Amino acid sequence: MSVDTVVSLEMPPDIAFARVATAAAETLALCRGLARRESLRFQLTIEEFFACLVQIADGALPIRMVLTGKRHQVRVAFRFAATTLSLGALNATTGASVALDGPSQDLGLLLAAKAADRFHIEHEGQTQFVLEAEVDKTYPVAGDIAFTTTFRPPFTARPCADPAQLALAAALAAARYPAWHCPIAMQTPAKFADMVEAGDVCTVLAVDGAGQLAGLLCWRPCGARGLHFSGPFVFTPAAQAASVARLLTERFLEVVAREPRDIVFSQRATADVPPGYFESLGTLALCHQDGCRRQDVLFRHLQEDTGASVWCHPALEPFLRETYDRLAMFRDIQPVGEPATQDRGQSLLSATLDRQKNLVELAPLLDGPDMAENIANHVRVFHAKGIGNILFYMDLSRAWQAALAGELLQAGFMPGFVLPHAGHGDVLVFQYAPAA
Amino acid sequence: MSSSSNMRPLLDRVPAYVREFESYTPSRPDAVLMRQYGVSHLYRLNNNENALGPPPLAQEALAAFAPVQAAIYPSGDAYFLRQALATRFGKEPERFLIGNGSCEVISAVIKAFCQPGDAIVTADKTFAVYEWVGAFSGITTRLVPLRDYAIDPEAMLAAVTETTKIVFVCNPNNPTGSWWTRAALSRFLDQLAGRALVVLDEAYGEFVDDPDFPNGMEVMEDHPNVLVFRTFSKMYGLAGLRVGYLCGSREAVDIVRRTHIVYSVNSLGQTAATAALADDAGHIAATRRMVAEAGAGLRDLFDALGLEYVSGAGNFIMARVPVSDTLLYRRLMREGVMVRTMTGFRFPNWIRVTLAREEAMGAFARALRKVLEIR
Repeated sequence: MSVDTVVSLEMPPDIAFARVATAAAETLALCRGLARRESLRFQLTIEEFFACLVQIADGALPIRMVLTGKRHQVRVAFRFAATTLSLGALNATTGASVALDGPSQDLGLLLAAKAADRFHIEHEGQTQFVLEAEVDKTYPVAGDIAFTTTFRPPFTARPCADPAQLALAAALAAARYPAWHCPIAMQTPAKFADMVEAGDVCTVLAVDGAGQLAGLLCWRPCGARGLHFSGPFVFTPAAQAASVARLLTERFLEVVAREPRDIVFSQRATADVPPGYFESLGTLALCHQDGCRRQDVLFRHLQEDTGASVWCHPALEPFLRETYDRLAMFRDIQPVGEPATQDRGQSLLSATLDRQKNLVELAPLLDGPDMAENIANHVRVFHAKGIGNILFYMDLSRAWQAALAGELLQAGFMPGFVLPHAGHGDVLVFQYAPAA
Repeated sequence: MSSSSNMRPLLDRVPAYVREFESYTPSRPDAVLMRQYGVSHLYRLNNNENALGPPPLAQEALAAFAPVQAAIYPSGDAYFLRQALATRFGKEPERFLIGNGSCEVISAVIKAFCQPGDAIVTADKTFAVYEWVGAFSGITTRLVPLRDYAIDPEAMLAAVTETTKIVFVCNPNNPTGSWWTRAALSRFLDQLAGRALVVLDEAYGEFVDDPDFPNGMEVMEDHPNVLVFRTFSKMYGLAGLRVGYLCGSREAVDIVRRTHIVYSVNSLGQTAATAALADDAGHIAATRRMVAEAGAGLRDLFDALGLEYVSGAGNFIMARVPVSDTLLYRRLMREGVMVRTMTGFRFPNWIRVTLAREEAMGAFARALRKVLEIR
C-alpha cells in the first residue's frame, strides 16, 4: 500500500492565512504529481472554502486543515466550530445567478463546489463540523482489450497488489459487464489500480492454473460499519463461471471476516453472484433508455446484529416494521414528527451523479426550512438532465433525517429497502418514482 | 486564542494498531436476546458450554460459598488451585499460572514475549483471540491456511521466520475439531528446533479419548519451549467464573508472570475450580457420553438434510448451510436456538453447534428443519 502524504495546519479564522492554505495545497499537488489543471482546482477549492469558513467559523477557535495526497486524488478536511451553518450555495442545483444574488460567500461556495470532484460535511457534536473535499487526478479511459477464451483449472483467488493485473482486471470487467455493475473507476483502469494501492478499494482476483486472470471482486468502505462490494466479475466461459464466482465470493468473505465491519452489501452485484451467500434486502428499479429492470440489493452480516434504535416518521412505520420483521432484525423504532423548526439557514443535499449508470444519489447534509423545496429542485434539475434513477439515502440514526420522510413522499420518492448499519445506523434508501 | 487541543480527535493520540482495531461486541445477555427475538426460552448452542454444568464437588463448593467471603480479596496467585494442579499433573505449583479465562493468559504470553515488530504464527481458521491480541499489541500475525480442515504443520513451520516469537496451535482446533497426533506434534517440535515458543491450546483436550492424542503436559518435559493452555470453561462447566491456566517450564512461566495481573481470578472461581479437579472422573465420562450421543444425532440430522459437516474432537460440530450463516442465526434465534455463526472464523455459510443435552439438540433439529424449509 502506498503511503499517503499528509499535511496538517491549524490556522486562525483569518483570511490572511488563505495564502498559507493554498500554498500548502499547491505544494502537495506538486509533490503528488497532479497536473496543473487539477492542482489549480484543488487550490481553488481550498481557497474558497477557507474564505467561507473564515466568515462562519467560531472566531475563538482555529480551523484545522488536513491535506492528504493519495496516488489518485488529493483531499482536504477542514475541522471547525460554528454555531450556525448555512451552505446552501453548495447544492448541486445552485446556479451562478442565484449565487450572485445571495450572501457574499455564496459565489465562493459555488466555485468551490464546482472545482472539487465531491465534498462531504459531517457533524461532530452540536457545533463541530468536518468539511471534506476531493479532487481526482485525470486518467486515460480504457482502450481496446482482448479476452482470453481458454482457461486451465485449478482456479485460485487471492488479494492482489500488482497494478498491471489490477488495471487489466478492471478493464476486463468494464468491457464485459454493463456499467451499472462496475465502479466508475473501472472506466479508467490505471485509476482503479491506484485506488487499490492507496487502500481505498480492496480486491480479490481469481487466476487459473496458468496465472491468467479469471475474475475479480472488489469492495470499499461505506459508512463506518459497512463494505460495499462489486462483482463477482467473471472472465471465463460460462461452464467455469459458477466455480470462479463462488471462489471469489468465499475468498472475499474470508478476507473481510475479521475486519471491523458489521455488514457487506451491494446494489450492483452481478448475476454471477453464487446463491446462498447473501440475503436480498429488496430491489431497485433501474431505468435506462431501453426500459427498466429489477436489480437485487444483496447483503450479509459479518458479525452478530446486536440490535439498534432507528428514528421513524409515522408514514414509514408500517414499511419499517414489515422490513425488520422480514429480515428478523431487532430494532427499537422511535417516532419522530414533522421536521422541527430548524435553526440553520439553508438545507444542503449531497448529489453524486454517475451518467454511466444514469444515476444520481442524494443524501441530506444539513437541514433547513427550505428542505422540501430543495428536494423538489434536485428532482427537477436531474430529471431535466435525463437522469432516470434518483435515489435518496436517509440515515435512520439521525432524527432530523428521519423526519424528512413526509417531504420525500410528497416529492415522489418511495421507500425501497433498508441497508442495515450502512451509515451511522441503518440507512433507508428511497427511489424516485413519479406517479404514472 | 484557546488551546487547539479540543479540536484534535482523541483517536489521533492512539497507536495505529489500536486505532485500527475494532473492539469485540459480545452477544447481548439472554434476557435481552429473548426479548429481541420474541422467545420465552433460549437454548445456548453457541459457546461450547458444558450443558451438564460443573462436577458435583464444584457445585457443592459454589453452594457453600459464604457471601461474606466476597468482601475478601482472592488469593492473588490462586495459591490452592495451583497446588491442586501441581498434584494432578505431578509438577511444581510455580509452573502454573492462573488467569481470568485462557484469554487472559494468551494476552500475558504475547505481552511477555513480543514487542511491535515481532510476529506470531497461527492458523487462519482457528480461535480468534491469538490474532486479536497480536493485532491490538502491534504484533504481526502470520496466518496459515488450514489443509483439509486441519492445521498444517509444514505450512506452520514455513511461516516461522526470525521475527516469530510464538506459534499458537489450537489442539484440538476450534472450530474444526481436528488435532495433531503425538507423532505429528513431535515432528513439528523437532523441526522447529526451539526457534519459537509453542503454545498448545488444549481448551478442548479433555474431550479427546484417543491414546494418540498428545498430552501437552508430557510433551513440555521434552520441549522447554512448549506452553500448554487449559481452561475450566469447557469440560469443567465453569465458563461463568472464567478460570484458565497455563503450564510450562519454570523459566517460561516466570517470564509470563511478569506481565500477568495478579488477583485477576476471583475467589469463587478458584474455589470451584479446585473442587472440580478433585472430582472429575465421573463428570468427564458423563460429559463424553453426552457429547457422543448428541454428536451422533447431529450427524444423522445433517446427513438427512444433505448438509456437509466437519465433526472432530470437542463438544461441537461445524456444518455448511445453504444460506448465509448470519441469516440462519437470526432465524434460529426466533425459534429460541442460538448457534455460532462461522463467518468470523473465516468459514462463511458455516455454523458451529454445541453438543448438549437431548432436549436442546431436539430443539435445534426442529428449528433447523423449519427455517431451512422457509428459505
